[in-house]
Amino acid sequence: MVRHPSDIAVTLTARGTRRGIVDLAPVALFFIPFGLAFGVAASAKGMPAVQSMVLSLLVFSGSVQFSALDLWHATIAYGTLALVALAVNARHVVMGAALSPWVNRLPLAQRLPSLALLNDANFAACHSAFRGGERDMGLLLGSGLVLWSGWVIGAAAGALAGRSVGSPVALGFDVVMLCFLAAMVTGQVNRTIRLVPVLAGAGVAVLTLPLLPLGWNVIAGAVAGAVAGSWAHA
Amino acid sequence: MPDVVSAWLAILLVSGVTLASRLSGPILMARLPMSAAVERFLQNLSLSVIAALVASMLMRGGLREVASVAAAALVMIVFRKSIWAMGAGMLVAAAWTFLAG
Repeated sequence: MVRHPSDIAVTLTARGTRRGIVDLAPVALFFIPFGLAFGVAASAKGMPAVQSMVLSLLVFSGSVQFSALDLWHATIAYGTLALVALAVNARHVVMGAALSPWVNRLPLAQRLPSLALLNDANFAACHSAFRGGERDMGLLLGSGLVLWSGWVIGAAAGALAGRSVGSPVALGFDVVMLCFLAAMVTGQVNRTIRLVPVLAGAGVAVLTLPLLPLGWNVIAGAVAGAVAGSWAHA
Repeated sequence: MPDVVSAWLAILLVSGVTLASRLSGPILMARLPMSAAVERFLQNLSLSVIAALVASMLMRGGLREVASVAAAALVMIVFRKSIWAMGAGMLVAAAWTFLAG
């Protein structure tokens, strides 16, 4: 049962952090191939290994990094990049809001480390634990840390190995980014109504591609898809 | 590829936006409770933006990319494993290049 937030004294302890690390370690193993895929894709696109490693270290999000990679041109359109990153990141706002009854019981200085490594996997694990009466935010931090390690190890290996492996096109590395994002979309369409934002978003992005600067068609599609999705629900 | 300064600026920008989004949920909730409609909009947005990206990339690619994405989506629907889906897409792309040159 969900307890009333005011009944809970939430803490952030080393012990909880350790528990988070151990609990999610098996899942972290599966983050290595994803990180590897990003490192290889970035290197196939010509991004220097150091840059791609630092990006993985700081961002720690496949969908954000792969979307950024698509906008990685000789001249970077910063406004477009920021808006696309903002839209891809919208999910984090929702997850953070769902954790807020517990996170906001912590002292201000402890909220930053708790949330800095928030992602789908540790959100899913911790949200259900907190609903069940868990009080140690170390769980979120620890699980975030171990998943982040898996991602970073994979990404570093991919970035370093990427160009020595061979022709990216012959091995299909150039489509990794596209297939990762396509798999993300497919995996999230678990009900028919979820097809509405997908089809509207894709349709508007395609129709506006010849009309708008590259990237803005994606933003137009994203907004149209979100509006259509909300409208379909109503 | 962008020059070194632009690349690092872009890395900082994307990192900053991502960190801000991770922190903003609880900050917003402390000030105003999120309505179900806003939450739904944000959830739809995070899905529609990726769909728009994929569609936009496919329009700039060729049949090889379409075939890879079809394979990835199919594997995802059947097995619900995104690693397998990526592998299937890569396999189709590699086979396409091998056969078609």
